[in-house]
Amino acid sequence: MVILRMEGIRKAFGGVPALDGVHFELHPNEIHGLLGGNGAGKTTLMNILFGLYRMDSGDVFLHSKKISISAPRDAIAQRINMVHQHFLQVDSFTVLENILMGAPLKESLTMRFGEEEKKIAAIQKRFGLEIDLGATLGDLPMGTRQKVEILKALYRGVEILILDEPTTNLTPQEVDALFLSLREMVKEGLSIVFITHKLREVLSVCDRITVLRNGRNVTTLRKGEAPEEEFVRGMVGEEMNLEKSILFSGIRESRAAPLPGGEALLKLEGAGLRTADGLQRLKELSFEVRPGEIFGVAGVAGNGQTELAELVLGLQPPTAGRVLVSGRDVRERTTAQLLGEDVAYIPEDRLHDGFLPKANIAQNLILGAQRSRPYSNGWLIDWKTVFASAQEMIAQYHIKTAGPGEVGGNLSGGNIQRVMIARAFSREAPLLVAHNPTRGLDIPSMDFVYSKFLERKAAGRASLLISEDLDELLLLCDRIGVIYKGEILGILPREKFEKYAIGQLMSGVRREA
Amino acid sequence: MTAMTAKTTSRSLLGTAIPYLLAILASFAAAGIFIALMGFDVLRAYSTILFTSFRTANGFIQTLLKFVPLLLQALAFTIPLTAGKFNIGGEGQLLAGAIGSTAVGIAFSHLPPALLLPLVILAGVAAGALWGLIPGWLLYRFGINEILTTVLLNFVAFSLVNYVATGPWRDQGAGHPMTVAIGEGGFLPMLINNPPLNAGIIVAIIVAALVYFYTTRTVAGYELVATGANPRAAKTFGIKTRLMFISSLVIAGAVGGLSGALEVAGVQHRLIEGMQSNFLVLGLIIGLIAKGNNLAVPFIAFFISVLEVGASAMQRTLLIPVEMVFIVEALILVFVLLSDVVRRR
Repeated sequence: MVILRMEGIRKAFGGVPALDGVHFELHPNEIHGLLGGNGAGKTTLMNILFGLYRMDSGDVFLHSKKISISAPRDAIAQRINMVHQHFLQVDSFTVLENILMGAPLKESLTMRFGEEEKKIAAIQKRFGLEIDLGATLGDLPMGTRQKVEILKALYRGVEILILDEPTTNLTPQEVDALFLSLREMVKEGLSIVFITHKLREVLSVCDRITVLRNGRNVTTLRKGEAPEEEFVRGMVGEEMNLEKSILFSGIRESRAAPLPGGEALLKLEGAGLRTADGLQRLKELSFEVRPGEIFGVAGVAGNGQTELAELVLGLQPPTAGRVLVSGRDVRERTTAQLLGEDVAYIPEDRLHDGFLPKANIAQNLILGAQRSRPYSNGWLIDWKTVFASAQEMIAQYHIKTAGPGEVGGNLSGGNIQRVMIARAFSREAPLLVAHNPTRGLDIPSMDFVYSKFLERKAAGRASLLISEDLDELLLLCDRIGVIYKGEILGILPREKFEKYAIGQLMSGVRREA
Repeated sequence: MTAMTAKTTSRSLLGTAIPYLLAILASFAAAGIFIALMGFDVLRAYSTILFTSFRTANGFIQTLLKFVPLLLQALAFTIPLTAGKFNIGGEGQLLAGAIGSTAVGIAFSHLPPALLLPLVILAGVAAGALWGLIPGWLLYRFGINEILTTVLLNFVAFSLVNYVATGPWRDQGAGHPMTVAIGEGGFLPMLINNPPLNAGIIVAIIVAALVYFYTTRTVAGYELVATGANPRAAKTFGIKTRLMFISSLVIAGAVGGLSGALEVAGVQHRLIEGMQSNFLVLGLIIGLIAKGNNLAVPFIAFFISVLEVGASAMQRTLLIPVEMVFIVEALILVFVLLSDVVRRR
């Protein structure tokens, strides 16, 4: 029994194949994991099914009947719906308004939605998605906002629900709740496609798993039909040496190594940040990052992580307390001086905050270091040296480009991230501030970045790793501080790392000491 | 630079040249249709436009004289463009420079050339820089759009020229508003006397070389480019972008002011109402055809000067309206921009 079949799907972007003859089958009442690293083509395949992209060739059969989908509305009409990684929601609307938005409504002029409300309440009851329909969306936590998105799909009538990396930004508790709801939905007759790059998630919730790599099918297996290693090997390919991998070594030996000594390279003393209009962005932050330490900051996106990074880089002066970098108050130095001397930075939003699309790769690689040796003497830039070291970085960090002279705008997202990584790590700065450094990278590249972090650690340099990927933090960090609404609710040493404890702090529940 | 990068540069140079040549051919072909419809001899018109500059010594020197203000006006546009800002105030800056030069040249007319000439030039540059500083400061302090302020300051400059040219320094014998001549010590030396060519061309070429060096080799130039490429990222990585905006407008103003100073010291020797001609618009066209590339600007400026000189000759000998060439220039710009769109497809 097959409810949906996709056959020989091909899609190329600008001549580069993203999907190369992929086939995919979905059974009724199953949760089907679509597993693969970044760039494997998982999201592209489902975007084609949802009508966001048009395939170059291939066929889609729904209930053994060939269908053609050229826009999301066609997909919705066929009872196929998709919840994206980044939701398109209106913060100032209520939950109800967000759910009804875009739906064909009889009472669209009078805004009397009593009947619809009853319908939605019934769906909520059936699937255990309890949300207050009158709440303003902007006030809700991420997990709830995702429920709204799922509820919206259910309300529109759905048979096949696609979830793209649904656990990003959820606490472990919210992930568990989501999985329970998904089980409930499958029981009620839905079929679910679950896109993820996290093996552990598919193994815990999915019935069958399809692994994609480089736009091709690797394998489709029932859960438990093969050992974990087979899925891992399928995701990363034959070349990668799994023995040496940091990512798949499981949680790194839980060395309860004593915290390295030495004077802190980063020290926050009751640092706070209040905006001009009185909003408290950061509150009473106090922690230090010592030489050879990787200090992690966990938290759901938008709880002050970006502001914390900007504080350390001197982009925003603290309105309370002090921030010390290498023992000196950040206010003593400009951002340019900090970047030239002590700090390297990987910004979260690479496209807006980190990249010069109209400049070439070499120019991009020296951004922030343009006043420092060996690239310049302070007045003139030594392009010969810049190009030579850019060549080296391109080779060492596997940036796929025609050369240092290529315009940055030609690069793919993953390669832009590699430029960010190369720029930051090659500086060998005493302190690295990295915000979601592995976003958009494939698995071997992620592993490479992790090895770079450990190299820094071995060399006695300090790293502040701000990440929304809790697994990444658990893997690399010596200590993790959890940030919630601009406040560090707790700092856990490595021996006390526990997913659910951190999850609780992430959702704002303070631990009883 | 390594051999490899040199090779890629030469290949990309050819790659960029071809769409330009096609654009020029296409615009001439399009304009040819109009010339033919108007009943003129197309081939003669073309040969006049393209070769007047090279047939006689006078034609060539006319071209060089046109080249100086066009080159500087184009640079006054492209320098802030590097940082992502639009200076549409080149003619205001030219006039401010001309006023500054004239004022110093008349007030200190008795000084010897060794003193007066540098003073005249510097006064023009300083006045132009001031004319760039005003929009720069308004942008820095209040975030007022520089396009608006630079354009409006052009009108202020027009009125100032009227005021000065009809004031106490007015040349009573002239029918058109203009001042008396500046002291002879303020005249630029001549490179050739007959036909007359002043030393302004050397200054202009040096300035173009300096601008190119500044934007491609210096740290400040890099920061200017980075600011233009993505101001937010540049700011995140410690570049003082607002300072980049203001300094680019001040430098542009100084270059625009220099074009006015050279017109006064080299060509007119006085302030004349309307001396800004259509240099601003041509400068914009040159800068846009060059797509902001400071290395390409001098070559395109020279080409446009050839067209301009050819156009006046065409009007004199064939009675074809000079505006025809303006259409050709505009068409070249349209086709160059169009070739970008086509290539992206």
